Amino acid sequence: MRALRVLLHVPGRVFRFMRRDKKAATGAIILFVLLVLTAFPTWFTPHDPAAEIYTPGAAVSWSHLLGTTSFGQDVFSQVIAGTRQSVMIALIVGFFCTVISVIVGISAAYMGGIVDDGLSLLTDVVLVIPTFPLIIVIVGYLKSAGFWLMVFVLVFTGWSYGARQLRVQALSLRNRDYLLAAKARGESSWYVITVELIPPMTSLIVANFLGAALYAVLASAGLQFVGLGNLNAESWGTMLYWAQNNEALQTGLPLWALAPGVAIAILGSGLALLNYAFDEVANPALRPVRAMKKRRVA
Amino acid sequence: MRFLARRLGFLLIALWAAMTVNFLIPRLMPGNPAEAMMGRLRGHINPASLKALEVAFGINTHQSLISSYFAYLNNCVHLNFGISLLDFPEPVSHVIAQALPWSLGLVGVSTILGFLIGTMLGAVAAWRRGGALDSVLPPVFIVISAFPYFFLGLLFIWFFGLTLGWFPILGGYTETATPSLTLGFIWNIIDHSILPAFTILITSIGGWILTMRNNMITVVAEDYVKMGRAKGLKPRRILWQYAGRNALLPNLTGFAMSLGFVISGAILVEYVFNYPGLGFLLLQAVENEDFPLMQALFLLITVAVLVAIFIADIATSLLDPRTRTTS
Amino acid sequence: MRRKSRVGLLASTLALVASTCVMGMPAIAGASGQTPLNLDNEQGELWPCAFTPFNGFDAMFSVGTIYETLDFVNALQNSKVTPWLATAYAWSNNNKTLTFTIRSGVKWTDGTPFSAADVAYTFNLLKKYPALDLNAVWSVLSSVKQSGSNKVVFDFSKSAVPYFYYVADQVPIVPEHIWSKIKNPVTDPIAKPVGTGGYELASCTPQNIKWTANPNYWQKGLPVVKTLNMPAFLSNNTANEYLAQGSSAYGAQFIPNIKSYFVAKKAGNGYWFPPVANVSLFPNLKSGPTADVAVREAISYGLNRAAISKIGEYGYEPPASQTGVVAPTFKAWSSSSATALAGKGYDPAKAISVLKADGYKMGSDGFFSKNGKELSLTVITNGGYSDWVADMQVVSQQLAKVGIKVTVDGAAASNFTTDVLNGQFQLAYDVETGGPSPFYEMRQWLYSKNSAAIGSPAPSNWERFSSPAVDALLNQYGSTTSSATQHSIIDKLQTIMVQQLPVIPVLEEVDWFQYNSDEYSGFPSATNPYAQPGLYNVPDWGVVVLHLKPKK
Repeated sequence: MRALRVLLHVPGRVFRFMRRDKKAATGAIILFVLLVLTAFPTWFTPHDPAAEIYTPGAAVSWSHLLGTTSFGQDVFSQVIAGTRQSVMIALIVGFFCTVISVIVGISAAYMGGIVDDGLSLLTDVVLVIPTFPLIIVIVGYLKSAGFWLMVFVLVFTGWSYGARQLRVQALSLRNRDYLLAAKARGESSWYVITVELIPPMTSLIVANFLGAALYAVLASAGLQFVGLGNLNAESWGTMLYWAQNNEALQTGLPLWALAPGVAIAILGSGLALLNYAFDEVANPALRPVRAMKKRRVA
Repeated sequence: MRFLARRLGFLLIALWAAMTVNFLIPRLMPGNPAEAMMGRLRGHINPASLKALEVAFGINTHQSLISSYFAYLNNCVHLNFGISLLDFPEPVSHVIAQALPWSLGLVGVSTILGFLIGTMLGAVAAWRRGGALDSVLPPVFIVISAFPYFFLGLLFIWFFGLTLGWFPILGGYTETATPSLTLGFIWNIIDHSILPAFTILITSIGGWILTMRNNMITVVAEDYVKMGRAKGLKPRRILWQYAGRNALLPNLTGFAMSLGFVISGAILVEYVFNYPGLGFLLLQAVENEDFPLMQALFLLITVAVLVAIFIADIATSLLDPRTRTTS
Repeated sequence: MRRKSRVGLLASTLALVASTCVMGMPAIAGASGQTPLNLDNEQGELWPCAFTPFNGFDAMFSVGTIYETLDFVNALQNSKVTPWLATAYAWSNNNKTLTFTIRSGVKWTDGTPFSAADVAYTFNLLKKYPALDLNAVWSVLSSVKQSGSNKVVFDFSKSAVPYFYYVADQVPIVPEHIWSKIKNPVTDPIAKPVGTGGYELASCTPQNIKWTANPNYWQKGLPVVKTLNMPAFLSNNTANEYLAQGSSAYGAQFIPNIKSYFVAKKAGNGYWFPPVANVSLFPNLKSGPTADVAVREAISYGLNRAAISKIGEYGYEPPASQTGVVAPTFKAWSSSSATALAGKGYDPAKAISVLKADGYKMGSDGFFSKNGKELSLTVITNGGYSDWVADMQVVSQQLAKVGIKVTVDGAAASNFTTDVLNGQFQLAYDVETGGPSPFYEMRQWLYSKNSAAIGSPAPSNWERFSSPAVDALLNQYGSTTSSATQHSIIDKLQTIMVQQLPVIPVLEEVDWFQYNSDEYSGFPSATNPYAQPGLYNVPDWGVVVLHLKPKK
């Protein structure tokens, strides 16, 4: 019952939190718009993003809001169509990273002893191995990373930061009264963890999801930008690759390169703003002072 | 002493893990892409070098996995990484040595500057809670730090390099200029480094501001700071000598880690600016299937990060005795 | 990641030769006070400072400039022969014996006189070390001997007229008194090359090669340009920026949108991209749907080559003809009957009707299938050449319109090369080296002895074409010096290209070439194509720099 109550509680709390926090609201609006674009890209693309049928290198006009590429593709349509891959990467990598870090972090904290030592060592080792060079090396051997390979590599390298944070917070909660009480009642470990331990950690878990998603967006775009992604993919990173290879900046087509960059920055900002807001929930001292005062009045 | 041993042990384990990953990756790849590279070399390098490469990439199947693993570890310890294809037939170590100073200069200087500026801004922001800095800086830098490095680089190239024409946009120096210790050549290098350095500075500063501000907020609430205030110490003195120092401690590890990452160069920034450092070299190695160079660069980057973290841990424990017992 | 020259491509398949670098050799240049000519030639690597002329990659740094050949054969002027280290040549003995008369009064740059003995020595060196024999001249030679003081006699095991190009134009002559002391010419580095050419090596670092004029060159008064620099570029972007800034007056680069990026930047900037070979789709003739000539025909009719050229290559590489003859370079060889047979080229309606006649049925998704199998092909191309990947993306969109599904696989360079040589593909997009007349590329494409079984590497003829009649035609060409006979053979081969489509040429491969004519006069051009201009074309670019004169 308690679990249900907690669950029902969540939407209302989230809504009130958004209304209070401008950063969170901005981030949420950005993500909402991008999710709509992801779900229904064709509603917003005036042209077939891949079709190479327009005047190459055309300037900005009503029919081509951001001009065309040197291949004669519509830049605006490409940017819209590219949303889907970045958002999907963010969601999928964020999800799997979060699942792994929750499992690793919480079991380390809850079980303690040798399990904790082992898992913490694993987490720390993965944490200190330089991620981006490692991804480059792995993809370098394969030469080209398709969508799922990219997801796999990013999850493989991206879960450790969250695991470490979650372990620390779970450790601090482990000896709280209500947890000890639940244990004393003879509840199963499964119950204690899912009902008593995880709910208070929700905001940190969400923050970690957002952090991992941000990392996935930036790293995948970087890989595609340097030509290590699938060159046929419809994505912002791949757009940047083609723009860079055709020296869009130097040949008077800056929008071809800058537009997908701005798109990545917008998605990244949305994730980062929400992430920061959830961090503030996890650690109330960080909140802007004015917001704190208001709350006291209310 | 026990603390030191623990950290040293961790250093060695992490190092071993990185070396093992490096060893396993080419072996786990479908079709072993390194084989094609070996074909290019066979008959053109001496048998000893060839053997070292076979061990590194698992080409020679008659050797058992275990024995080639130990041979590989042995080669790593002796810094024997084989021959580069990018600058054939120079040893990999020679190629890396040529690119190292560029990354150290560019990324090193901008990382340190970013840390110093960001930390100071963060401390001031936290000290004046609710002030202009505190309300403007965090959201601005949250947004900027979510920008991809390379995008900011492209933007600078387009605006400052091409539209305004203020700075050269590519390379470490003018190609046909003769490297020498003259003022003209040094200026040439600085001129080429301004845009990439600025890119790194802008994107890295935000992280330092935020972490320093957050640490500082926690520290400011502590009793000894309140006590200092009550005793009527000058605010500036409390800010830098009491609160600042303690708020800085947790950041040292992060700073050390980013210093370690200097070795990797800011990969994408160097790529965008064609800056001849290690990050650009890593991507060149990937593009030209120079696997020995790729392996060596990855190990070098890892070692640098690990050693930097180790040193930071030691430094933190010297400055803050509490950490010695809690960890 | 942009495409490099064909040399880069060659270097990936040919062996590299071990060498070491000479660092910081004292520069002798600049004494004349003339501004050096900077050459812009990105190869994606630092210079190896190895001057073995018998290495597919290193040759571009010494052949033509430092080492010279017996004759200069110009591919752009219908194989026109200019006497060089040989003053004359003559075929005899039923086109099985070739005699060169060697020039007198030529000296090596160390002062030793050059002689017929050096020529005989060089060719016998290639016999002794097959690794140096890049063009396999010893596959048809039986002996090379000096005769009298100034003649060298080449005996061939069969009539081998087309081999004149390889013997006279592609083998650089090296000094016997130096090379006879080199222990292992395959692996020992040549750090201080001694040649007969217009230039000497002044210095070499991994970042820059510098040449200075040979003061005692046998062509009196040449070269006029006293100093050459060739900086090493790791990426195309930097090399293009170098040209756009005006730092170089002679480049060999692929530059996107060249008119705004380069031509408009400075008065006198210009470019010329002469075509020399075909970039083609190689269909697998042994297995899969492409073994069916109707499918190949439909592909060829389905290609809008002009659009591929415009979209994928900025129009730099002109559309190719299914006859396989590169125009305008080899226009004189073009067969009017084969061209008529090929029709208008792009004809989507015909592509569809050809497939329907062959039993293919259009499905509801717009793609053809036969016996329940969809007509779906994968084309492999070099993933490192982004323009080739772009070409294939256009091809994929075009062929979808005629009901053929094409997936683009831009593989890693080494995997790509292996797959192409071994015939492991359905369609491959690649280029042969060609030569100074259409015969060379046709022979590379169609000669059955160049091929191999699927799974083992074929030096050329990657599609695995095999026809005794075509082999006979190619052999017959090799035994005649009659221009009329040669033309009639090439005519017949063009008809076979159109009827059987063993290879589907898409675009014409060009030499990349940029210049600034306000700073130097004498560059080759469409009206005066006296040599191939690419800085990787040997010995051609050595000939080009001899023609240049500073204007200021």
